[in-house]
Amino acid sequence: MVPYEYYVALSGLLMVLGLVGIIVRRNLIAMLLSTELMLNAVNIAFVAFDMKVGDVSGQVFVFFILTIAAAEAAIGLGLIMAIYRLKKDVNTETITELKL
Amino acid sequence: MSVIEQIVGTLGMPNFALVMPELIILITAFILLIVELFTKNKALITGLTIAGLVISLLPLFQFLSNGIVGNTFYDLFWVEPFSTIFKIFLIMATIFIVLNYTPYFEAKKTFYGEYYYITLFALLGLMIMLSAKSLITFYIGLELSSVSVYILAGMFRKHYKSKEGAFKYLIIGGSGTAIISYGIALIYGASGSLDFSEILNAIMNKYDIGTIAGLILLVVGLALKVAAVPFHQWAPDAYEGAATPITTFMATVVKVATLAIIAKILVLAYPLHIPYWSFAWSILAALSMIIGNFIALRQRNVKRMLAYSSVAHTGYITAALAAGTETGISALIFYSLIYIFMSIGGFVFLSAMEKSNNWSNDINDFKGLAKKNPMIALFMLIIMFSLLGIPPTVGFMGKFGVFIALIEQEIWWLAVVLVVMSIVSAGYYLRVVIYMYMYEPENDKNINLAIPEVFTITFMSIFILLSGIYPTIFFEISRALAITLTSLI
Repeated sequence: MVPYEYYVALSGLLMVLGLVGIIVRRNLIAMLLSTELMLNAVNIAFVAFDMKVGDVSGQVFVFFILTIAAAEAAIGLGLIMAIYRLKKDVNTETITELKL
Repeated sequence: MSVIEQIVGTLGMPNFALVMPELIILITAFILLIVELFTKNKALITGLTIAGLVISLLPLFQFLSNGIVGNTFYDLFWVEPFSTIFKIFLIMATIFIVLNYTPYFEAKKTFYGEYYYITLFALLGLMIMLSAKSLITFYIGLELSSVSVYILAGMFRKHYKSKEGAFKYLIIGGSGTAIISYGIALIYGASGSLDFSEILNAIMNKYDIGTIAGLILLVVGLALKVAAVPFHQWAPDAYEGAATPITTFMATVVKVATLAIIAKILVLAYPLHIPYWSFAWSILAALSMIIGNFIALRQRNVKRMLAYSSVAHTGYITAALAAGTETGISALIFYSLIYIFMSIGGFVFLSAMEKSNNWSNDINDFKGLAKKNPMIALFMLIIMFSLLGIPPTVGFMGKFGVFIALIEQEIWWLAVVLVVMSIVSAGYYLRVVIYMYMYEPENDKNINLAIPEVFTITFMSIFILLSGIYPTIFFEISRALAITLTSLI
């Protein structure tokens, strides 16, 4: 059986990938995908720690995170639609109006 | 049927009396959801919302007067005086904000019934979050409110900035959510539980890597939600983009509830790690005060200036957390409660002004306001003085409390930063007053104020003055709450 530390390492890696994705990507949809990646990294971490602790509350938490990720994705895609309708573009370099 | 009987038999029915305020708000929100489909009667929708909010206050006052404390929903939901008092203030703040929805949205032609019930859902999330006894409840409440506020922020019709601000809020808030939940996962891995008291018993004063990393991630995520520098980038954009009454809601109700839950989690689950988290908050507070105030200085747009001032106020309030003592917690409670009044006053003033045609929130629009409408300009002057912290107003008392708490713990450098940055903030708060009083009116912008707006601004500024002269009631409430919170461990 794979020890739980490997899963935690994997989740940490995915988390960092998601964070880097949010920082470097310039496409709205890719940024939204990166936040989803981060939330899924958390799911892996929860299941891994659940394996260590031998409890079920970690797995229950995963269901809540899944629900919340879905809700956030729905709102994010809705906002991207609204932005695309107004600007015909999804690149943050060209559509940003609010600046320091 | 037998399965349900078994579950209820082993676990027992949850005590619904303790979640009565939340239930009332939930039911009101669903009634509004249905009613809004059939009628566009704005007075009816507003009236229903206000009625639901007022009715939900009654069980809360009953909890307080009868001293009811208890758990329900299998130790997930916890009614105690700390959360009850904060809920009362949040509901009252929401009543004042909802009153100002209709005039603004009508003038801006962006009236949707959704504004009302999504506000209620956001408030419900915050109330659930405040009653948390376990990190699950906290997380669900936080997310219910965050997701609702993303929608509220992006709902301004045909207004591109609103969408952009909301999307930034969604992306940064979503990463904050992920960071908080990763922190919760690490804490769960280290302690094996999600309940505050069990976390405390499991980790005690252990300093292993899992506990510390979990604590750091939790603090970073919460700092992001409460818009402390360096995690504040979303706040000015989302505040500027959203419709002004929604900005009011975000800058007061959401922010104060998040500050309260920060104090609650850190005091209840991590009382033995005070040196760690108080150090983290002192850095965040100092950065928020310095950067928030200096960027606010160069803003010409008053709404954006108030947004940065709200970041700076996060700094003042979390500086109290850096003290980490009972006095510090009491100062935090005091400042966050009075911040509700000051911030609602300022933002509602802006929302009232924005209704006049071609008002762009630019500082030049304020020229000669005192000549055109002396009463409302006087009230704005009081609110600005209170945000700045000039003695007869209550804002001074808030900063004074934080200052005393910092001196007691001998965190001198942060106390000095607090005082110096308050002086810097005079630069932009007084600029508004100067433009109102010392310039001749340039244009003939007609100011039309609705009754709720006049009522709100008058109430807030008179309240600020009175409680500044006689702050004892608030001091007593916040002291009592700080003692309750530290005794709950």
